[in-house]
Amino acid sequence: MLEIDNLSVKVNGKNVLEKINMEIKDGEIHALLGPNASGKSTLAYTIMGFPDYKVTEGKIIFNGEDITDLPIEERAKLGIATAFQNPPSIKGLKLSKLLEKISRREVELKENDLLKREILEREINVGFSGGERKISEIIQVISLDPDFVVFDELDAGLDIENLEKLSSLIKSELYNKSALLITHRGRILRFLKPNWVHVLVDGKIVCSSEDWKKIWETIERYGYEKCRECELRSDRP
Amino acid sequence: MKNVGNANYVQIDHEIQTHENEGAIILPSPEAYKRFKWTKEYFEEKPKEGYFIWVRKSSDRPLVTRISISSKNVSQNPINLVVIEENVNAEIYNVCNALKKNLCGNHTGYSKIILKENSRLVMNHFHRWGKEDVVNSGLEISLGKESEISEVYKCLEVPMEMKMENNTYLKEGSSANLVITILAKEGEVKMHDSTFLNGRESRGISRMRMIGDKKSRIVAHSRMIANDAGTGHVDCMGLLLAKDSSINAIPELINNNKDASLTHEASVGKISEEVLNYLRSRGLTEDQAIDLVVAGFLGEEEPITIEGRIVPSKSYM
Repeated sequence: MLEIDNLSVKVNGKNVLEKINMEIKDGEIHALLGPNASGKSTLAYTIMGFPDYKVTEGKIIFNGEDITDLPIEERAKLGIATAFQNPPSIKGLKLSKLLEKISRREVELKENDLLKREILEREINVGFSGGERKISEIIQVISLDPDFVVFDELDAGLDIENLEKLSSLIKSELYNKSALLITHRGRILRFLKPNWVHVLVDGKIVCSSEDWKKIWETIERYGYEKCRECELRSDRP
Repeated sequence: MKNVGNANYVQIDHEIQTHENEGAIILPSPEAYKRFKWTKEYFEEKPKEGYFIWVRKSSDRPLVTRISISSKNVSQNPINLVVIEENVNAEIYNVCNALKKNLCGNHTGYSKIILKENSRLVMNHFHRWGKEDVVNSGLEISLGKESEISEVYKCLEVPMEMKMENNTYLKEGSSANLVITILAKEGEVKMHDSTFLNGRESRGISRMRMIGDKKSRIVAHSRMIANDAGTGHVDCMGLLLAKDSSINAIPELINNNKDASLTHEASVGKISEEVLNYLRSRGLTEDQAIDLVVAGFLGEEEPITIEGRIVPSKSYM
């Protein structure tokens, strides 16, 4: 589905990512863990093709096609979507109006504490709480019916109950989709159970493993620095 | 004259038709000036044309007025008076437009709106002009105690030159929610909007939404003046779409009462790259993203209700 091959990225003239390798197969969920400012969100924006994120080396292959130089909207049309950590506010534009334009499938909304239908008639991210921002992103991503989703810090700003609700919405509405789950807290791992986990420190992947539980336990016990010498490291990126 | 539907007052060039509405008296202003002596209090001099609407009972049917220029070099000078009686609710749609783009018309209009105690008015005012027209528009709104007005003014096709002056006066417990939306393209717009909080617990909100497209210039003064213990908010937002456009937004707060509270918010700029890239990540091209942001900024298309039918204001015009 998505291959990241030896990818290095500069932002504002500064090297942020160095020689990243990753292969996410059909239906797989990979998690990318790392401390703050390790470059996790940079990878999300680079996969989506944001112009400030300059690829200096390597390439991104999506379903066999080299998309390294494709503009953002072309990547979206191919089936890549991102649920952003800090989406911008758009004054005047209601979420429902955006969904009318972008939807490739209907989203059936079952109201609960987290998900209120009235969010559709509000201006995108204007006065939204942290949880409302997350739900707005997830509704948009679901409506795009993508093949591959990047979830950037989905668990930031959500309490454990709402994180569980959001995770179960993702599991039911994005069933069997490939995904890259970016997080530095790890709480979401036990809800979405990734097939692979990678640890990014200072712009480099220092550890990859299929055993997310052990990786997360190690990080919780010793912090991210321990991942540099992790015995669970695998050959498969 | 063409059949113009169910409007209560229709003026095309200088030719006028009126249709009564339940609970309201609708007359050409000169006739009202002659028939009702009390109107002299509001008309400064005998009007030559324009509408008089006196709403004496609440009605579910909105009132509709239309003043159009259809011939070359017509100069209109409508003087309008709207009076809403105590405890009455009313809804009015006004359309002023040029029926063709090259008529070189002149529309100099002045409207006075009087809301008596505890009355409510929802007013939607749409303008659409040709490039060769010149428009001068004045509006004075006087709110009695505990009365409320919600006024939306929208002009998405400006003439080469347009001047507007609006003054709203609020008494104790009254509230005004005023929204002006302008899309300027190849034209110059000068606006002066002032809201006077002259009573305790009066509440005023003045919002300006301005879009500057090709070869346009907008100068917008928006003042909130507190002479008593009210609350007021001024919100001026401008979007620039073209290099040769400019917006000069001047919000002004004048507080003459220590118990009053006035706030403002203002921004003028282009659509941010962050917003455009975000929308592109949803599969929209840059042009589609700009169109969507602009459409959102201009607000929803307010429909007109006529004889129980909902008609988009655009198609009515």
